[in-house]
Order: sequence, then C-alpha cells, then structure tokens
Amino acid sequence: MNLSVEHGTFSYNHKHNVFTDINFSVNSGDFLAILGPNGAGKTTLLRCITGMLKWTSGASLLDGENIRSIPEKRLWSRLSYVPQAKSSPSSYTALEAVLLGRSSRIGVFAQPTREDIERAEHTLETLGVIKLRDKRCSEISGGEYQMVLIARALVSDPEVLILDEPESNLDFRNQLIVLDTMSRLAQSGIACIFNTHYPEHALQRSDKALILADGHAVFGPTARILTEENIERAFGVKAVIGEIETRESVVQNVIPLHLSSGEHAAGEANPHDTLASITIIFNDFDTSTKINELLHEYNDIIVGRMGMPYRKRGMFIIHTTFDGDEARIAELTHRLAILPDVSVKTLYGKENGKEKE
Amino acid sequence: MRRGASGKLPPLAIALLIVFPIAAACATLGMGRMQIEPGQLIAAVMQKITGEGDVPKTVMMTVFNVRLPRILLALLTGAGLSLSGCAFQSLFANPLATPDTLGVASGSCFGAALGILLGFGFIGIQTTSFLFGAIAVALTYIAGSGKGKGLSSIVLSGIMIGSLFSALVSLVKFTADSETQLPAITYWLMGSLEGTGYDNLVYGAPPVLVGCVVLFLIRWRMNLLPLTEDEIRSSGMNIAALRGTTIVAATMMTASCVSMCGQVGWVGLLVPHVCRMMFGSNHLSLVPASISIGAGFMVIVDTVARAATAAEIPISILTAIIGAPFFITLMRRSGGWRL
Repeated sequence: MNLSVEHGTFSYNHKHNVFTDINFSVNSGDFLAILGPNGAGKTTLLRCITGMLKWTSGASLLDGENIRSIPEKRLWSRLSYVPQAKSSPSSYTALEAVLLGRSSRIGVFAQPTREDIERAEHTLETLGVIKLRDKRCSEISGGEYQMVLIARALVSDPEVLILDEPESNLDFRNQLIVLDTMSRLAQSGIACIFNTHYPEHALQRSDKALILADGHAVFGPTARILTEENIERAFGVKAVIGEIETRESVVQNVIPLHLSSGEHAAGEANPHDTLASITIIFNDFDTSTKINELLHEYNDIIVGRMGMPYRKRGMFIIHTTFDGDEARIAELTHRLAILPDVSVKTLYGKENGKEKE
Repeated sequence: MRRGASGKLPPLAIALLIVFPIAAACATLGMGRMQIEPGQLIAAVMQKITGEGDVPKTVMMTVFNVRLPRILLALLTGAGLSLSGCAFQSLFANPLATPDTLGVASGSCFGAALGILLGFGFIGIQTTSFLFGAIAVALTYIAGSGKGKGLSSIVLSGIMIGSLFSALVSLVKFTADSETQLPAITYWLMGSLEGTGYDNLVYGAPPVLVGCVVLFLIRWRMNLLPLTEDEIRSSGMNIAALRGTTIVAATMMTASCVSMCGQVGWVGLLVPHVCRMMFGSNHLSLVPASISIGAGFMVIVDTVARAATAAEIPISILTAIIGAPFFITLMRRSGGWRL
C-alpha cells in the first residue's frame, strides 16, 4: 500500500493558497506526524489527503490511483478517519458507535450481522476498552471516547488510519495510551497519519514527519525534519531538543525557550563523520525483521555487527558499529527508538576518533 | 427498558410494540358517544367478514364508516408525524427539530387555508395543502443550500420560510369571510381528525406509508445522521443520498399528515423523545418504536378528543395537555434527553 500526495495545492477562494506544492508519500507501517502552528491548515490538509476536500491542483494517490476517482465505499474500506473528538459525543453506546465504522462493509438496507458485532467487540477488546461496551459515549471520559473513535476507525480493517489531533485535550496517561495504540498499529503494518500539537510526540513516535508553515511543507524522516531550525522556522519559537536518558533508551524532548527574534539560526550543519556504536535489546522475534530491514538501509556505514539471541530470557541483543555521517546515525537511532518495546542506545566516539590516518 | 447488545430490540419489546397500536385501535373502536360493548363489536366484525348477523345498522355504520377510518387515520398520522420528527431531530442533530423545521407544516397550513378560502372540497383542500408543503420545503432548500453551507443554514431558512407562510396564513384569514370561512380555517388549523372517510385515506395514506417503509429500511443507516459531515463521509456513505432520502421521506410524511388532519402539534417532538428515553438513540430500535408509540398515542389522544366531552376537542390542545406533563415527568425521571 502506498498513499502519496503529489504537488498538492489548495485554496478556498482561488486567491490565496492554503498550501502550495505539498509532496509526501507513506507506505504500509509508516507513522507520519503532521505538525504546524495553529491555523496552518493541518485539518484542512488531512481533509485534502482523504479527498473530502478537492485539491485545487495536484492529487492524492492511493497505490497510484487518484483518490477522488475511487468509489467512496471502496476508498473508505481502505482508509479510516478519526476526527477531532471535540464534537459533543452522541448518546450511542460504545458498541453502537464502533459498529457505525463497519458502514462501508454493510449494505444500505442491511443491518450489522452477528459477525459485525463480534468484530466490533474484538476491536474494543484489542484496544483494552471492552468494559465500555454498553456505556453511552456521552457518559465516558475524553480519553475513553478517543479510544472508541479509534476503535470505530479500526473496525473496518483499514490500511491507512488518519487521525486529527488524537491526543489533544487528554491527560498524559491517556496520551500515552493513545500514542502506544498508534505505535502498535503502525508496527502491525497499518500506515498511521496524525496531526499533532506536540513536537515531542512526533519525535518519540513517528518515523516520518511533515511540518507545515506558511503553506509550504517539509517532509522526511522525523530525525531530519524535526530539528531546532525547522521548529524555529515554522513556529517562530526558539526551542531546544533535549535528550533524557533512561535505563532503556534515550528519550527526546522539545523544550520551547522563547519567541524567535526573527533571525533564523545558521543553515544546515556540515556533514560530519563519526564513529558510533548502537546497542539494541528487544524481546519480540518479529521485531528483528524490522530491525534488520532498517540496518540494511545503513549497510554502507556499518563497520561491524554482532547479534545474538539470549535464550535464557527469551531476548535478543544486537551490537553494531558505524563509521559515517553523524546525522544518518542519529536518524537510524531515532528510527530504532520509536519501535515499541525496543531498548536502544548509541555511543559516539570522541572527536579525534573521526580523524582518518 | 433494557436494550439488546447491538441496539436491537429484545423480543418482548418487539411484541409489545406490535401489540400496542393494534390493542389501542381495537379498544377505542368501541368507545365514543355511542358506547359499543366488546361482544357486539366482535359480532359486528364477524358480520362484516361473513355478511351474516343481526347487528343493528347504526352500529355497523358507526364502527366501519365513522370510527374505523378515523382510527386508521390516527394510526397513520401518529406514526408519520413522530417518525418524521425523529428523522428531523437526527438529521439536524438538534433535539428541538420538529416536522415544522423545514417550513413544511406552515406551508401545508397555508395551502389548506387557501383551499378553504377558495371554497374547495375536502379532497381539494388536501391537495393544495400537500402541494404547498412541498413548495415550502423546496423554497427552504433553495434558500438554505449552496456552496459551503451547512445544515444550520437550512434550519435558519426553514424558520424564515415557515414564518413567511404563517404570515400568508394570517393574510388568508384576514381576507376570509368571518362568518363561515374564518371559523373553518381556524378550526382546521387546530387540527382535527373528524369527518375522515376512506377517500381521504386513499389520497393521504400512500405518502405516509412509503415514507415509513423507506425510513424503516434504512433505519440502521440513520444512525449516521447526527454525526458530523466528515464522519458521515468517512463511513463511505454518500452523504447527499442519505440526507436527501431522509428529508424527502420525512417531508412527504409531514405534508401528507398535515393535509389530512391539520396541524397536530407536539406529537413529532414528544413521541421521538419518549422513545429515545425508553429505547436509547439507536435507530434500529428508535424507528420502529417511534412508529408504534406514535400511532398508539395518537389513537388514544384522538379517542379522548372525540369521546371525552359532548363536543369535540381540537386534538392539538389535547396533545399538549396530555403530552407536556407526561413528557416533563419522564424527562425528570430519566435525567434529560440527548440525541
């Protein structure tokens, strides 16, 4: 599955473009975060991507086919959309609400069958909210309602899940639940696209990022896109990306310092080679496929590699040593760190280590 | 009442919903100024079927030519008005939406008043009434829809068109002959099922029945109606088709009901809410419940209207007098309503 946008340009009144020439592409299992200041048009962008709004020029393509030429019923059985949870929840029970997500697979005059109901219950179960089954959506908490909305989107077995600020207005426990859910879904092969106001969520979770500012977008691997320079350019805020070391890995965080003075920081950092060693510990054999794929992409800078299963604990350990561009090594570290249940740390050699003889 | 897991009605509720209007109709067949004993009623029915018996002719006349068509009309308008009320509430995601929201009822009233002013017969009045109901909704649609406009602008233009037609009704009243036509118009506007014959039903029933059947068939889809536009679209449903079908069906039912028996207020607001409080918001149960309870309620209210006092009480007065306290009690006990 591939969903891409090519030269997407959109305007409401044909005078002022909301976006100009947006390009990006996601594949199965990708996790894309869309960031941008208030009013940059993040929700509008999602609506354009899904074909609910028509691009003024350019197109969204699903496996190469223009989204607007795909019949709605077929399109929405592959794509699912989770709107912002701000609209006042209806008084349907959670199960009834989730069942509505099966619409694209149920005939117009038909009713949900036993199987549909079982699917809906199963989805609630997988997301850990089966206890809400018979509760009314108007009587559950915001976090629970968000999970019901995600369940409603998932119950149609989509290949792409598009979420509009799914973790806004939630406390941090519920944010974690929602983010963990999205990470697991991406890991299971669903492409997840979400809008967020939290750069740190993008840093900690997504492997691709798109920043919208002034109608233009930068898109690429999160580690390359979510930089202090790009944040300053898009938000007008001087921020630092900090790292907090835990026992298992290094967590990145974004701390806003002050409003930008208007002078942008000096451009791109110079390519800079370094020696580094990445250690990975994980306990799920399936994850190793994903890790090996990732490492393979960086084969050209790998200088040493050792992997071993540790049967006694049912865990796996991989040591790799790199000599190459520091930005690429940081990017790989990031891509490994966002995999669920994987511990990753990178040790960089001292400055003189890069001096070649 | 406990709901089934997926919002489907439990068998007991289905049985009750089927029995209620039928029982109400049978029970009220014998009631009225001329009291008919159950035994005689059964005998009369047997005589109608077999053609043999010794039931007095007056009883036969009363049961089959006066009461039966009127009870059938009550069943029909009750079901039609409450189902279209339920549909409009869901469509506009607004608990205060009534069959009048799109100006249908005002349009129909104007049509009827015009018919009376021009001295049309009963069928003529019914036709003009239906016609102007449809014209009103068309005007509302033209005024309120357009690029980038949502449902709220349709509601607003519905209110505008509604008040326009109310003003036109006043104009008709003003020009009407105050000795004969004005009382007729005023009385008609209060709503009455009096004087119904089978010929009225032949003209008025099909639109109501068709509307009921259509909405009943798409009842599970109607669950999508209160959601936001994006949510409906992302369910893969054609939003224009879903909303269009609902509007046409509900308008057809309202216009036809108003054209048969005048403006009967409250039923379209009250019954759907009672059903929501009893059966929840799932249209899988809400649609059949609205049809059944609306029909039964209307039969009972109409029986009170014709049998309680020597002179007939206009039905709108009764629906409000019976409905308001009942509604308030239910609302206080169930902790309010939501869609």
